[in-house]
Amino acid sequence: MRLIVIFVLVFFAAAGLVVGALNAGLVDYDFAFAQVQLPKGAALLAALVLGWLLGGLTAWLGVSLRHRRRKKEAGKKQVHA
Amino acid sequence: MMPWYALLPLAALAFALGWWACRYASARRSGAAVNELSSDYFRGLNYLLNEEQDKAIEVFLRLAEYNRDTVETHLALGNLFRRRGEVDRAIRLHQHLVSRPNLSEPTKTVALLELGEDYMRAGLLDRAEALFADLVAMNAHAPSALRHLIAIYQHERDWNKAIEHARRLETMTGEDESPMIAQFYCELAERSRQHGARVEARDYLEQAFRCQSDCVRAWMLTGRLHAEDGHHAEAVQAYEAAIGADIAFVPEILPPLLNSYACSQQMDRAERFLRGLLERYHGISPVLALTRLYQQRDGQREAVGFLTGQLRQRPSVRGLMALIDATMDRIEGEARENFLILRDLTRKLLEGQAMYRCSRCGFGAKAHHWQCPSCKSWSTIRPIHGVANE
Repeated sequence: MRLIVIFVLVFFAAAGLVVGALNAGLVDYDFAFAQVQLPKGAALLAALVLGWLLGGLTAWLGVSLRHRRRKKEAGKKQVHA
Repeated sequence: MMPWYALLPLAALAFALGWWACRYASARRSGAAVNELSSDYFRGLNYLLNEEQDKAIEVFLRLAEYNRDTVETHLALGNLFRRRGEVDRAIRLHQHLVSRPNLSEPTKTVALLELGEDYMRAGLLDRAEALFADLVAMNAHAPSALRHLIAIYQHERDWNKAIEHARRLETMTGEDESPMIAQFYCELAERSRQHGARVEARDYLEQAFRCQSDCVRAWMLTGRLHAEDGHHAEAVQAYEAAIGADIAFVPEILPPLLNSYACSQQMDRAERFLRGLLERYHGISPVLALTRLYQQRDGQREAVGFLTGQLRQRPSVRGLMALIDATMDRIEGEARENFLILRDLTRKLLEGQAMYRCSRCGFGAKAHHWQCPSCKSWSTIRPIHGVANE
């Protein structure tokens, strides 16, 4: 199992290197107050990582807020019982 | 050159994947926890139902360790410890619960009530009394606390306080506690009688009648007071009223009643009363009383004839023993030896028999008690009706 995981990781690292080498061109970013140029591969990676992290954070916030609300309601019920 | 917004669909896809991965992971985590909790809970419940309390305690202890906030698990554990007789552990557990700073008021009072029960079981009645009194003052679980307080005062034989709290319980719950209060007054009357305070005893009996007009025990005590004062005619009336109030107590009432009949020379009235009783009461006691009466008045032959006729209708070992005793004088030789063996046998048979049984918990007793020694309920011990008993 561990060997398979290592193999998959090496494969993706190699694929990232190849894609990065093939897409060495730059992407222009204009944030109004600043203009940035990033390599295409880095921009792709940054978009993927940021999207993943934001998605995870949103889901975690939703779940934890719901849990907190339920706990509070259960506490109120216990007091009234 | 590629515009930067070409990466947006990829970012959105990554967002969706991240969101889904997080939800999946949290659902798996909570599901596993719930499964583990509920399977443990049901395993514990199963052990409880199978009367395997040791294993149930083990499971519940692990549950309590798993989730320290679960007050209910702690309460259940404390109950289990108390029922198993491990009162010190139950006390420690409930004390720990009560000392928790973040406990809600209702839960705290439940824990206090449980702690009070632990103290009661451990015999620390003063501590239990203080706790229950606090609960009553706080008006939290007051009926239960009052019931426990009444039990404590009964144990301490502090009948005045028991009456006071029984009345409070009556007003609080609206339930009729007057038969129990009447018994408390009877206890006070009995104590006064034993100390020679006869006027005080009569006052207490009056209070008992006010609580329960057909209180057998109060009637019997009234009869006893009259008989001790030499007023046998009044004693007869009281004893007859006692039988009228509850016919089940005939075996208890008949001996002093017959004595009062004899002392007041009302044997005709005795015969009439016992004859009437035979119609209403199916035990052997009135038959034996009438047999003795006929034996004294009409002679042995008539008495034996009456007893034999009655024994055909209501077979009884006590009746058989009386018959053997009555016919023993007329028998000689080998038959007499056989009768002696028979008499010893019946005596031994009766010696091992419980004559009374509590109608509530089934406790068997050889002597009569007004309060059941097992379940502590009043007036529930009654004579057993059967061939070997009444």
